[in-house]
Amino acid sequence: MKGLVKGLGVTLRNMTKKKVTYKYPDEPMKMPNRFRGVQHFEPEKCIVCNQCARICPTECITLTGKKNPDPESKVKLVIDTFDLNFEICILCDLCTEVCPTEAIVMTNNFELAAYSRDELFKDKEWLTANNTNVREENNVSLLKAKKGGAE
Amino acid sequence: MGELLTQPLSWGSFLTFALMAIVLLLVILFMVTYAIYAERKILGYMQSRIGPNRTGKFGLLQTPADVLKLLIKEDTIPQKADRPLFKIAPIISFVPSFVVLATIPYSENMYFANLDIGVLYYVALSGLSTIGIVLGGWASNNKYSLIGGMRSAAQLVSYAIPLVISAVGVVLMSGTMNLMAIVERQSGWFWNWNFIPQILAFVVFVISAIAELNRTPFDLPEAESELVAGYHVEYSGFRFAIYMLTEYVYMIAMSALITTLFFGGWHAPAPFLEFIPGFIWFLLKFCGVFFFIIWLRGTMPRIRIDQLMSLGWRVLLPLSLANIFVTAIVMEIIKAING
Amino acid sequence: MALRTEELLLNVGPQHPSTHGVFRIVVKIDGEIIKEATPVMGYLHRGTEKLAENLNYTQIIPYTDRMDYVSAMTNNYVLVSAVEKLMQLEVPERAEFLRVIVMELQRIASHLLWWGTYLLDIGAMSPFLFAFRDREMIIEMFNELCGARLTYFYMRVGGVKWDAPDGWIQKVRDFVPYMRERMKVYDDLVSGNEIFLARIKGVGRYDAQTAIDYGLSGANLRCTGVKRDLRKDHPYSVYDRFEFDVPTRTEGDCYARYLIRLEEIKESLRILEQAVEMFPEGPVMAKVPRVIRPPEGEVYSRVESPRGEIGCYVVSKGKDSPYRLKFRRPSFVNLQILPKLLVGESITNLITILGATDIVVGEVDA
Repeated sequence: MKGLVKGLGVTLRNMTKKKVTYKYPDEPMKMPNRFRGVQHFEPEKCIVCNQCARICPTECITLTGKKNPDPESKVKLVIDTFDLNFEICILCDLCTEVCPTEAIVMTNNFELAAYSRDELFKDKEWLTANNTNVREENNVSLLKAKKGGAE
Repeated sequence: MGELLTQPLSWGSFLTFALMAIVLLLVILFMVTYAIYAERKILGYMQSRIGPNRTGKFGLLQTPADVLKLLIKEDTIPQKADRPLFKIAPIISFVPSFVVLATIPYSENMYFANLDIGVLYYVALSGLSTIGIVLGGWASNNKYSLIGGMRSAAQLVSYAIPLVISAVGVVLMSGTMNLMAIVERQSGWFWNWNFIPQILAFVVFVISAIAELNRTPFDLPEAESELVAGYHVEYSGFRFAIYMLTEYVYMIAMSALITTLFFGGWHAPAPFLEFIPGFIWFLLKFCGVFFFIIWLRGTMPRIRIDQLMSLGWRVLLPLSLANIFVTAIVMEIIKAING
Repeated sequence: MALRTEELLLNVGPQHPSTHGVFRIVVKIDGEIIKEATPVMGYLHRGTEKLAENLNYTQIIPYTDRMDYVSAMTNNYVLVSAVEKLMQLEVPERAEFLRVIVMELQRIASHLLWWGTYLLDIGAMSPFLFAFRDREMIIEMFNELCGARLTYFYMRVGGVKWDAPDGWIQKVRDFVPYMRERMKVYDDLVSGNEIFLARIKGVGRYDAQTAIDYGLSGANLRCTGVKRDLRKDHPYSVYDRFEFDVPTRTEGDCYARYLIRLEEIKESLRILEQAVEMFPEGPVMAKVPRVIRPPEGEVYSRVESPRGEIGCYVVSKGKDSPYRLKFRRPSFVNLQILPKLLVGESITNLITILGATDIVVGEVDA
């Protein structure tokens, strides 16, 4: 009997404690800085090295490049199309880890639900426009170079 | 109300009775709606979360929304099911649980029927809803609902017996089965209420009542995260709503009965508080019992079927029989001392 | 007139609220007693081991996260430690300490989830929400550390990816006394409850020899009296520097497994305290070549996951992807005792026993 009464006491005491429900759709949920959300792409920085497409574990990145119309700049190729298939992207952030220029970075957005599968195939324009909540730390080796080897 | 009952039946009084019955039905339906809401909110608070709060202000429209959803669902009947029995089973289950509410005195002037065999009428009718459950299990033409229905029938029958026998202790002490008179005998301070002299009967009655209601920790027929979904697996839409309605109306009826038999009905805990109307006291005590049943649901795990049967027959039944003997002996001793 | 009875063939699953995933048991019952039980697995098979033959070692690590999704850090570690053994890499100390802290936190989270769902199967609703509330604190810490709440992808060959952000170690330090208080609340709520004890005691008993014969590991083995924990017997990472006990009991029933897992949470809290005190400075990643090419050879590395012994066998032919990768998953092996254990039990006890074995179907099928 004693165990039952103790259990009843626990639930009764819990009624007066603070509630832990998030008011989610009404208030946005704030994710910490390192959160791996949907990617953001900046076409000017991309040098079409193909590292992201090669490292992706599910091969969801397809990209094509074209010759740089500006003959003076050192960069040979600029990005023409860049597609990310979010049906199979697992948001593992390997693409941001290997990108040498931080052209592709992750944001803290995670709301990607859509009504049809076609909408999940995002192209360059959408990824460029997705520039809210961009993550600050992306490529760990560049981070070390920026901070002079600290950490 | 009492004068109306004793007069000969005329069209006027018949219409009055019919109107009051409809009013009671509507009041009970309203109470059930908010009983379901209260249960979800209380369970939420016990689990560190808010219950429903998005539909309507504070979530008050949640149950009407759920009922609306159930009403507009498709009414499916399995192909080889026994159609007349399938349709009538929820009704057989619901009607007794509502009819017993007529006998309970809510305050000195608010009662619907003043039967001299109130307790007997109550337990007899509550036994009838067992038939509805067995019929529902049988008529669904589903092996698993048959097993579930049989299990719950076994549970209901085995716990009806300690229920009745523990109520007999109260009847012995009050000398009558009339619920009005039982309440009147508990007037005065709160230590006159029956739950103190009849503490053993009180405990046995509460446990049996929770088993009769199919509530945790005895909710094998209902929650069934184990195997089959019980007797109402094939019911959907409005028929399922009637089964759920039965459960909550029966819960209200049982809480009202516990209040009447053991907590002094509409009497205040102390004579100087009698200026507050009796109905308010009835409501407060009833809410306390109701909260206790919900509190148990939030805390306890489920009992296994064989442990449930052995608890009913080997523990509760001997205890309630012992209670009758002890009550009778003590009453004889007091009579011998006094006279 | 003799009464003719037949045995009933019943399918528990694949869709069932209590089988913790898509898992099916075909039982033949006579009344309430089980005469024969056959588990059917494979509903969640995703071909991880075959896919791994075409992927880089770094690319396989997210796939291991998703095998035993409840304790992803130990899965990451088993693959990474196998490759490190093959390459004979030296991992920096700070990385090893971060790995231990993260794995012990993961053990607490996994046991909390097990506790909540086990009690939900038995019928109590509130412990589930209490457990998830506390597990949420651990998940939030992981979210700050590595950016994900369930599939962390935190460990790399040669170290870990991120260093701890500022204030994170302090959060771990504050979590330990909070969790100790909550364990007392859990004991009050459940462990003394007579209904719960009547459901669990004496159910699903087996002895030590059976457990060893079937290859059980983890709490399923330690409940029979065999004191075997890989963190103590074959220490890996920096576990040999910490002081902790290995809870063992002798009864061999579900109650013993329940108590052992609760004790393991307390032991993990001890390890966390010590690890946070001894936390060194330094780099978090060793100098690894850009493309990881282990030399030719085979290696088997094993780790004590919350469910038992998880092992990874790698055959490498010198290329950047393995020739063959095989995971010895604890839930798969622990399930094999079910057909023997369930004969003669009633249906209600089936759920109790299955819950106490603590399986995760993602791991059973890989």
